[in-house]
Amino acid sequence: MENRIKKVMSDVFNIDIESINNNSSPDNIENWDSLKHMNLIVALEEEFGVEFDDNDIENLLNFQLINLTIKGFIDDN
Amino acid sequence: MKYSEIIKLNNELEGAINSPDYKIAILSNIMVHQSKEICEYSLRIESVNAKVLLGEYDNIVQDSAKFQDANAIVIFWDTYNFIDGFQYKAESLSNLEFENIVEKVETEIDLVLNNLKDSSLVLINKFSSLIFDQFSLSNSRINKLVLRLNVYLEEKCSSNVKIIDIDKVVSRLSIKSSIDLRYYYSSKTLYSIDFYKKYFEYIKPIFLSTTGKIKKALIFDCDNTLWKGILGEDGFDNIKIYCEIQHLIVHLAKKGVIICLCSKNNSQDVDNVLENHPDMILKDEHIVVKKVNWNDKVSNLRSIAQDLNIGLDSLVFIDDSSFEIELIKRELPAIQTFQVPRKEYEYGLMMREVSNLFYSLSQTKEDTQKVQIYKKQFQRSEEKEKIGNIEDYLESLCLLLIVHVDDLSQVSRIAQMTQKTNQFNLTTKRYTEKDIRNLIEDEFKTVISISVRDRYGDNGVTGLAILDSDKSAIDTLLLSCRVLGRNIEYKFMDVIIDCAKNKDLRVLNSQYIKTMKNQQVSDFYERCGFIKVDEVDNSSEYNLHLESYESKDIKYIRVENGK
Repeated sequence: MENRIKKVMSDVFNIDIESINNNSSPDNIENWDSLKHMNLIVALEEEFGVEFDDNDIENLLNFQLINLTIKGFIDDN
Repeated sequence: MKYSEIIKLNNELEGAINSPDYKIAILSNIMVHQSKEICEYSLRIESVNAKVLLGEYDNIVQDSAKFQDANAIVIFWDTYNFIDGFQYKAESLSNLEFENIVEKVETEIDLVLNNLKDSSLVLINKFSSLIFDQFSLSNSRINKLVLRLNVYLEEKCSSNVKIIDIDKVVSRLSIKSSIDLRYYYSSKTLYSIDFYKKYFEYIKPIFLSTTGKIKKALIFDCDNTLWKGILGEDGFDNIKIYCEIQHLIVHLAKKGVIICLCSKNNSQDVDNVLENHPDMILKDEHIVVKKVNWNDKVSNLRSIAQDLNIGLDSLVFIDDSSFEIELIKRELPAIQTFQVPRKEYEYGLMMREVSNLFYSLSQTKEDTQKVQIYKKQFQRSEEKEKIGNIEDYLESLCLLLIVHVDDLSQVSRIAQMTQKTNQFNLTTKRYTEKDIRNLIEDEFKTVISISVRDRYGDNGVTGLAILDSDKSAIDTLLLSCRVLGRNIEYKFMDVIIDCAKNKDLRVLNSQYIKTMKNQQVSDFYERCGFIKVDEVDNSSEYNLHLESYESKDIKYIRVENGK
C-alpha cells in the first residue's frame, strides 16, 4: 500500500518515486502547493476508493499521515 | 483511466508530439485547475499538442483580452458565482439589486464576446442553475435568469463561438458525481475529476475539427450490425433491419460522412438486400465503397482507405464480432472501432455517440455533395483501369479549372480545406473562417481558390493557394485529395505564377513543411522548377525567378475565371 501511495504522489507531483519517504511533506516537496494538494487528495481517493472528509484533508500534509489515514479506512472495512 | 495516471502520461506526452502547440485558454469564475491535465491528455493522445493556459480566478473579462490569440478559449462561467454566495442570495435580493447583477453580467458578456470576436474558436458553457436548483419545484428566480442569459448569449455570439450545454454532461454523470463541494466554500472549486473527463471527451471533436484530425469515413459490417441475423444462414426473408441505426447512418451520409461496408458475405446477397429488401433505409446510393467478400477485414479496411485516398486514422469501424474488433484494434490501431452492444436496445445510443465523432465546425455544400463526389471518383478509377493510357484518360475527362480570387462567399469552404487537408498540403497551416476573411481583406494577400469540373460533374472548391505579395511568397498551397492524380497541381501552379506576375513580383519564395502525411509533395516545388535554397529540420525553403518559370503546358485542362 505504501508503494501505491508513493506512486500516486510521484505522478501528481511529477517527482521520482525514490525521493519520497516518511518525512515527505510540502516543506520538502516543492510542487506540493495547495492546488496540487487537492489533486493529490482526489487522486488518492480514486486509487483507494475512499473519500476523505474535509477535516482529514487539511491534515494529510505528510506521507506518514496519509499512510495512516488510508490504512485506517481499509482496516475499518 | 485514473487521474494520477492521466497526470503521469500527460507529462510523458509533453514534448513527444511533433506538431505545433495548440494553445487552449481556460477562463473561469470558479477554480478549474484540475481541468488542465485532463484536457491536455484527451488531445495529446490524438497527436494534438495541447497546452492549457489557465486564466486567473474570476477574471473572465480581463483574461478574454489577454488570451484572445490562443487556438481555442474555453469559458466556465458559473451562475452561482456571479457574486459571492449568489446561490443563497439570489432569492432574497430586491428587484433592483437583482437587476443590477443581471446588468453587470450582460455587460461582461458583451465585453468578453467583443474581446474574443477575432479569436479562432471560443467555447462557452451555457449558464446553468442545475446544481443548487435541483430540488426546486417552482420556477426559481435564478432559473429564469439562466434562461434569459442563455438567450442573450445565443443572440450575441458570432460564428466563432460555440455554446456548450454543460447540463448534458452533468446529466450523463449525475449531479452528485459531477460536483465535489468539499472545496467549494473555501476555494471555489466545483467540478469533480469524473466531470472533467466526460466534459473534455464531449467537446473534443470540436477541437479535432479545427486541427485536421476529424474522422471522415464510417464503415459497417452487415450481419448483426445493419440488421439482426446472418444473411447467409437465416436468409433474405428472416433478417430484421435495424431501422433506427440505418436512419442515423443515412443522416450522416447526407451530412457528408463517407459510409462504407466491410462484410464477409456474398456480395450479390448483400446487393440484393440493398436493392430489394422492403425495410432497408440504407441504400446503395448512400454507400461509397463496398468490400463485401471473404477476404480478411484488415486488408479490406486498408484497401478502403486506399480507395478513398484518406488515412487509416480517419476511419471508424463498427462490427458485432469481438474477434473482428480485437483483430482491427491489434493490426490497425489507428482505426477507431466500436462493437455493437450485446443489448440491442443500447445500440441506438451508441450510434449517437459515434455520430458525434463526425462533428464538423461548419457544414458546407461540398459536404452534402461528397457522397456523389466520392462515388464519381470511384467510377473514374474504374474507367482508369479500362483506358490504360493515363494521358488519354485525363484528356477524356474534359477537365476544367475555375479560378476564384478573394471570394468572400467561399470563406467557410476555404477554412475547412485548410483544416482538413493533410496530404497535398505544402505548409499545413490551419486557418479559421475569421483568419480567411482577414486574409481576403488584406491587400497584400491573395486568396486563390479553384474548383474543378469534369465531364462526370463538379468537384466543388478543391484547391487553395494564398499568395503573400508583401513577402513574395506562397503562404499556403493545398489540393483536396479527391482531385489528385489529374495534374491539376501543375495547372494550378500556372495560375499562381500568373497571379504573382500580375502583382509585379519577380521572385517567388515557397516552403515545404514536412508532416506525417504530406510526403507526396516533398519535392513538388522542385518538380515545378523552384530551386531549394535552405533546409532545416522539417522545413525546406525554395525560390523561383518568375521569368524562368516553365509551364508544364497541360493542354487537356482548361482554365476559366469564376465570376
